[in-house]
Amino acid sequence: MRARTLMVAAAAALAGAAGFLPGIAAAAEDAASPEEVVAKVGAASRFLNEKGASGIAEFNNASGRWVWKDSYVFIYDCRLDRMVAHPLRPDLVGRPIMQITDNNGRLIFKDLCKAGGDKRGGWVEYLWTRPGAGGVSRKISYALGADIAFSTGLQVAAGVYDDTASAAALAKLTDKMADPAKYPAH
Amino acid sequence: MAEQKVGNPAVVGLAGFGLTTMVLQFHNVGWMGIGPVVWLGLIFGGFAQMVAGLQEMKTGNNFGYCAFTAYGCFWIALALLLIGNHYNLYVSSKSDIGWFLIAWTLFTAILWVGALRISGALALTFTLLLGGFVLLDLAHFGFPELTVVAGYELMLCAAMAWYIMAHLIFADVFGRDVLPVGKPWLRAPAAPVATLKVAGATA
Repeated sequence: MRARTLMVAAAAALAGAAGFLPGIAAAAEDAASPEEVVAKVGAASRFLNEKGASGIAEFNNASGRWVWKDSYVFIYDCRLDRMVAHPLRPDLVGRPIMQITDNNGRLIFKDLCKAGGDKRGGWVEYLWTRPGAGGVSRKISYALGADIAFSTGLQVAAGVYDDTASAAALAKLTDKMADPAKYPAH
Repeated sequence: MAEQKVGNPAVVGLAGFGLTTMVLQFHNVGWMGIGPVVWLGLIFGGFAQMVAGLQEMKTGNNFGYCAFTAYGCFWIALALLLIGNHYNLYVSSKSDIGWFLIAWTLFTAILWVGALRISGALALTFTLLLGGFVLLDLAHFGFPELTVVAGYELMLCAAMAWYIMAHLIFADVFGRDVLPVGKPWLRAPAAPVATLKVAGATA
């Protein structure tokens, strides 16, 4: 947490000079929660299942319903090795994804595809640029398959920017959300 | 006046069937996008094959009449399904497409029996086609990885269709059968049945 505060402070100091301070301050206090991410990704998967290929375009809209707080849903094709939709990085759309690594050399989409291949989806942590922040942050994303006609490798994912959460802890959260009866409140 | 030579519509039907099937498999195994599949599906696999099918009527070939017209319509329907899904018109889910394919599998099974009586090459083409449809059915109901297997399997099917097309065209241009299609897998009934017929006629 401290590292992020320091980094945000440093970025804010830099960006503040350039006049971008308000945007960063808003992003820092309004962070998406893991529960929101699971709900959005689930909704996106169901939406695509219903709308087929016609639903994809909406995910490229930076001011649409699939972008909220500091998070967003992106779509990629694990079989065709391609970014299908990304609201904030149009430069990546249509490009190969499997070779993309983070600053630690982690093949991000290889891991996302593996996690999203599970029936209930899965979590992967890596480093990525947080919207509105400079440099990279620790991001932990939830990936889930999207079952649409004429396509076999589509997945949707979204993430939280968090320095403490672990993929294992979040996997428990996903299980709980999928099957609340197994986890009594008291 | 000498009668004008009439072409065999099957050469166009087989060309359209083979080429469009081939291109769809290039897509299914992940080599290319869907764009050319849609347009070739409408024009060559669809329109041209369907017209070839309709022309088969005059040749008195019921198998070709039904098969080419039907698979021509299959391609037009498939292209329209893709276009519909793109433009949010009667969107089909994965299982909708699965059922669409199951209907075509059943239809193909009927023609497959007929193909067994026509020639070895046609029997092989339809065996591969039927196998490809079954693999695609499974791919749509729980085994998505079979799409790629079906892709390679159906490439062989498309190549077989082209082989029969080449057999017809080369026989015409070379004046002899360069590429034999082989004896049918189901032979015409032999002596005993014929004897029965004769017996029936005399009784």
